[in-house]
Amino acid sequence: MPLKMLSIVLLTAAIAFGATASMVDGKADLKSAGPLAFGPDGILFIGDSAAGALFAIETGDTAATKTAPAVQVKGVNEKVAAMLGTSADQILINDVKTNPVSKNIYLSVSRGRGPDATPVILRLDFTGKITQVSLDKVMHSSLVLPNAKTGERVDTITDIAYVKGNVIVAGLSNEEFASNLRVVPFPFQAADKGAGIEIFHGSHGRYETASPVRTFIPYTINNQEYILASYTCTPLVKIPISELKPGSKVKGTTIAELGAGNRPLDMVAYHKDGHDYILMANSSRGVMKLQADHLEKYQGITMPTDITGVPYQSLADLKGVKHLEKYDDSMALVLADAGGSIDLRSIPLP
Amino acid sequence: MAQSVSIQLDDGRFRVEGWKASPPSDLSSIFQVFAGDGDVPPMLGSYSLEGHSIVFRPQFPLVSGIRYRAVFAPPSATLNAGRLERVFDGPVKSADGPATRVERIYPSADVLPANQLKLYIYFSAAMSRGDAYPHIHLLDEAGQPVPLAFVEIDQELWDPSYQRLTVLFDPGRIKRGLVPQQELGMPIVEGKQYTLMIDQHWRDARGAPLANEFRKAFRGGPVDRTPPDPKEWRETAPRAGTSEALTIDFPDSMDYALLLRMIDVAGVAGMITVDRNETEWLFTPDHPWKAGDYRLVVDTALEDLAGNRVGRAFDVDTFQPGSHLASAKSLTLPFTVR
Repeated sequence: MPLKMLSIVLLTAAIAFGATASMVDGKADLKSAGPLAFGPDGILFIGDSAAGALFAIETGDTAATKTAPAVQVKGVNEKVAAMLGTSADQILINDVKTNPVSKNIYLSVSRGRGPDATPVILRLDFTGKITQVSLDKVMHSSLVLPNAKTGERVDTITDIAYVKGNVIVAGLSNEEFASNLRVVPFPFQAADKGAGIEIFHGSHGRYETASPVRTFIPYTINNQEYILASYTCTPLVKIPISELKPGSKVKGTTIAELGAGNRPLDMVAYHKDGHDYILMANSSRGVMKLQADHLEKYQGITMPTDITGVPYQSLADLKGVKHLEKYDDSMALVLADAGGSIDLRSIPLP
Repeated sequence: MAQSVSIQLDDGRFRVEGWKASPPSDLSSIFQVFAGDGDVPPMLGSYSLEGHSIVFRPQFPLVSGIRYRAVFAPPSATLNAGRLERVFDGPVKSADGPATRVERIYPSADVLPANQLKLYIYFSAAMSRGDAYPHIHLLDEAGQPVPLAFVEIDQELWDPSYQRLTVLFDPGRIKRGLVPQQELGMPIVEGKQYTLMIDQHWRDARGAPLANEFRKAFRGGPVDRTPPDPKEWRETAPRAGTSEALTIDFPDSMDYALLLRMIDVAGVAGMITVDRNETEWLFTPDHPWKAGDYRLVVDTALEDLAGNRVGRAFDVDTFQPGSHLASAKSLTLPFTVR
């Protein structure tokens, strides 16, 4: 091993110690595998809605790669189903995430579609080989989210992200219409209650509702950490992370309003040719590229017009995109449904 | 290869028998099992040697309807000789129970506010996840689908048993001042007749379609932007020494699921039921009432059909003074049993 690489490994190991000190070796007893997020040192966070819990597992996948080769796996759902000994219609790919250090790709999967489905985590490497990430014997820790499950009520975890020592968890209740955003410090602390944060949305400064967050990404504007979040009622907003305090009431600033039937599914933020962009996969309007320069100057939309806010363009050639993820500095990953066969491929960031 | 080499499947395990040569350390290099046809990776599982048998134990149970292809290719084998392949069918499906059906839908009333927020669909058995929305249809008077009525949540809002799905009307079309609301209006129009149709092709957790199509007819009512006001609720106290139900009657229908969870009698164990199109809440005690003073505790997150909470409208008009009442997390309503 070259000396330079060795020193990176040693440094990584030293940083890892703090995060993994609270972890235990053994079975990570997930009931479901939903949204994924990577933390430092190859730690993978998994949202488990069925258990109302958040898991952190140590993947050990910490060898750094700066640029990743292009990837294309046709029928990834069929390949995964075959590995799990079942048919493609009996699995669901719930999320796709790139390990930002190694650029290996992780999938969270349900084997089965009923309440007894088995959670599976898989890793796809540069050669296209898919391997299973063991949940039976793995360094891990977990946190039961308070009040996430009561009787028939479930907070479905819709998205998670790791930002500087905290895991941000967006949940959507199957009963009351309310926001439920939680900020959970990591390493998990048993005493932490992960108190919910009430998120509101004011349309044009007048009508205000509780607004559950569907999907979000961490975003830095002028050295301040934000989340860019898409609400269930469609607007895209920015919220300073400093405002996300347990028990607080937060109102996001609208930076874009999207038209009817538009469901933002996933977002990727990137920088290209001196400009900032956000790539957003939508349910009905395909993939949009939003111009994101100077979001700090956005004071919010105050007058409703048609699709308003930051300028955007639609990318017509990207169809059926179910998940969108940053791959490296110049590529994104798309998981797209091509008539029943689900393909995973990298695309150049537009 | 000796003639006696064979591949067997017993008790969910695949085994190569009769091969006498010394096996390699990596048994997967000579024996693999594939689910289905096509160019797919081998199944996950573990290998072991039992005497002279090479045993592959799949990580997941075999399922019906899948053809499992076991391939034994010892080091000396070529594509044409010495390679052994045998196909097995997955286990035969066990006898099916009765077909799953939609049992009921809430709200149960036949007039729903134009800004109706949620539906709860209850099924007789566990359903499958991942394909709900194509099977839920809101039809207008002409039987034509109302487009984009619901917000499609990819994860789907099931209860833990997958027997209840929560469906949200698109909040972007209900909330005033948003683009979807201005482009398309509310999903439900006052005075118009609608049918909520659940088609039969929706699959349950066993993969079987529903027993039949389910229809619920309703009419659009006026928009409701008035938060529920406990002062307008009518409580009927039971008599001491009886197990009569304590009842609360509401002027309008309330959210079914929240009624079951958000009102309670402090310090008394009992059972909650909901009746009269969700305008009546009943609490039947486990033991007869004793005379005395009691307290009903109401969580102010309780919603009516349009998502208005106790003391807070779904979309508060911040230009209207007093439209946003300060509300505590819960409030109490005293009653006396005599």
